Amino acid sequence: MGFTQESAVERAKQDLAGRLNISESDIRESSVAKVDFPDMSLGAPASGEMSAQMISTGWRINLNANGEDYEYRADKYQLRLKGPNGSNHVIVS
Amino acid sequence: MNRSNFWIRVGIVGILVVTAAVLGQIRRWQSKPVPNIEVVQTGAQKPKTLARSVQDAEPEILVRFKPGVKLADIKKIAARNNDRVEDKFEYIKGWVTIDDLDGADMESVARQYEAMTSLVEYVSTNDVIRLEEPVPVPSTRDLVHRERDSNIPNDPQFAEQWALSNIGQDGGKAGADLSALKAWAKTKGTKEVVVAVLDTGVDYTHVDLAANMWSRPDNVPQYQDEELGTFNDIRGFNANVNESDPMDENGHGTHCSGIVGAEGNNSEGIAGINWNVEIMPLKFLGRGGFGSTKDAIEAINYAIDRKQKGVNVRVISASWGSTQNSKALEDAIRAAGEQGILFVAAAGNSSTNNDSRPHYPSNYDLPNVISVAALDRTDSLASFSNFGVKTVHVAAPGREIVSTWLNDQYREASGTSMATPYVSGVAALILAGEPNISVEKLRERILRSVDKIDSLGGKIASGGRLNAAKALGN
Repeated sequence: MGFTQESAVERAKQDLAGRLNISESDIRESSVAKVDFPDMSLGAPASGEMSAQMISTGWRINLNANGEDYEYRADKYQLRLKGPNGSNHVIVS
Repeated sequence: MNRSNFWIRVGIVGILVVTAAVLGQIRRWQSKPVPNIEVVQTGAQKPKTLARSVQDAEPEILVRFKPGVKLADIKKIAARNNDRVEDKFEYIKGWVTIDDLDGADMESVARQYEAMTSLVEYVSTNDVIRLEEPVPVPSTRDLVHRERDSNIPNDPQFAEQWALSNIGQDGGKAGADLSALKAWAKTKGTKEVVVAVLDTGVDYTHVDLAANMWSRPDNVPQYQDEELGTFNDIRGFNANVNESDPMDENGHGTHCSGIVGAEGNNSEGIAGINWNVEIMPLKFLGRGGFGSTKDAIEAINYAIDRKQKGVNVRVISASWGSTQNSKALEDAIRAAGEQGILFVAAAGNSSTNNDSRPHYPSNYDLPNVISVAALDRTDSLASFSNFGVKTVHVAAPGREIVSTWLNDQYREASGTSMATPYVSGVAALILAGEPNISVEKLRERILRSVDKIDSLGGKIASGGRLNAAKALGN
């Protein structure tokens, strides 16, 4: 499969809703921007992960739920949740 | 006579010949036997002159007398020397051709007239006239360009490859390149050297890469791993899913491979820094361009095994990394070094200082590791590039780099990923001429042959840009 911006946002909302056990309608889309990330882990490497050091274009998806901000990153191949303190998660790859 | 004087004389003689032709002299010359006519070599070599027969009545020297010296006086002078005036060029004042009648050689006759300093301005031996075809008269500039031209590949996108030859195209800084043309005058690489590209795999069918892909020689056994089994590793290894086929699904490894060794001068796409080399695809990064440290170690282990089985793997190109340290990965790279394998690693793209915020594997302090920063086409450190005066060793072009991509395509990309294979490629060029150089000396050669750049002082250890020609001793 390959993500588009819209499908990546949709998948990010699904993921966050599941994590917080809330309805997707309770999630607000703060911003979505096309971004150049520093590498192919989209600047959000998961534990034990190495990534190609090529500038890679993708989307930064900022969501808000229950008053908290959540940042997802995506490109056509993957969706990641950039966690606090570097604890990033690969959602789809 | 020095070379510049020679060409001046050639030019003058050429003008004289043209003029003579206009005057109808050529026919007269052609009607005579022309034994032992001169051989003229064009290009940088000095023309050779073969001695002519003394029976040949061709004019032997060209003399320019000073203004005021009359033709009658010139004829008298010639007669005293047992010569005769063969011709006078009506439209080129002062010049006559002198024919020797007593069989003296041209140089002797010329010296006779040169000695008449009160009467003679200039003497030229008549040694390069060739009537069959025009004699090119190259300038020094032409000669320089001809020497360079012989190393310019015919790959149609070469003009976009500012990293190899930066003439200021697209806002670049002329000369901010790897001096590839000069390096190629010495070597364009060899298929005796194997560079392992440890990455997303390689599109080994790419039209610009296929000729330079490694394949396992018949005398090297299949890869056997006690846990993983036996692999018919014809084209390399895929540690991502533990299989033989290292086909690239992402494009990144194909891009890096083109930088190392896209086939040069094949009228296709681009030229690699090596026109000839063997690229061994080692895949551990998946379709998304990321992978596990464990798989990287597995692939390095494969490279070491192949080296021990006789494959001349001397370089691993590693355009990847992370801030996560792994002692196991460090040990794997050390083991590769013990097998004489240089490990070239990207410094990272976070614009941060690796001295204080380490990036791995580029930060491993091992004698076979080179950490590579990225430059743009103006010789500036790329805005994204990591740096570190203690931990980043050399800079190479890494912004707006065109190279091979999946499905016979080409694409521009940026990153220390792109800078890294240039260093790997230059290592391969060095190895082409010095196959037995130790990994430590190989590393030292690369780091000591850089072009110092002021803006890199205090930023990276060598303070300079990779220079392929200097690394080869040019």
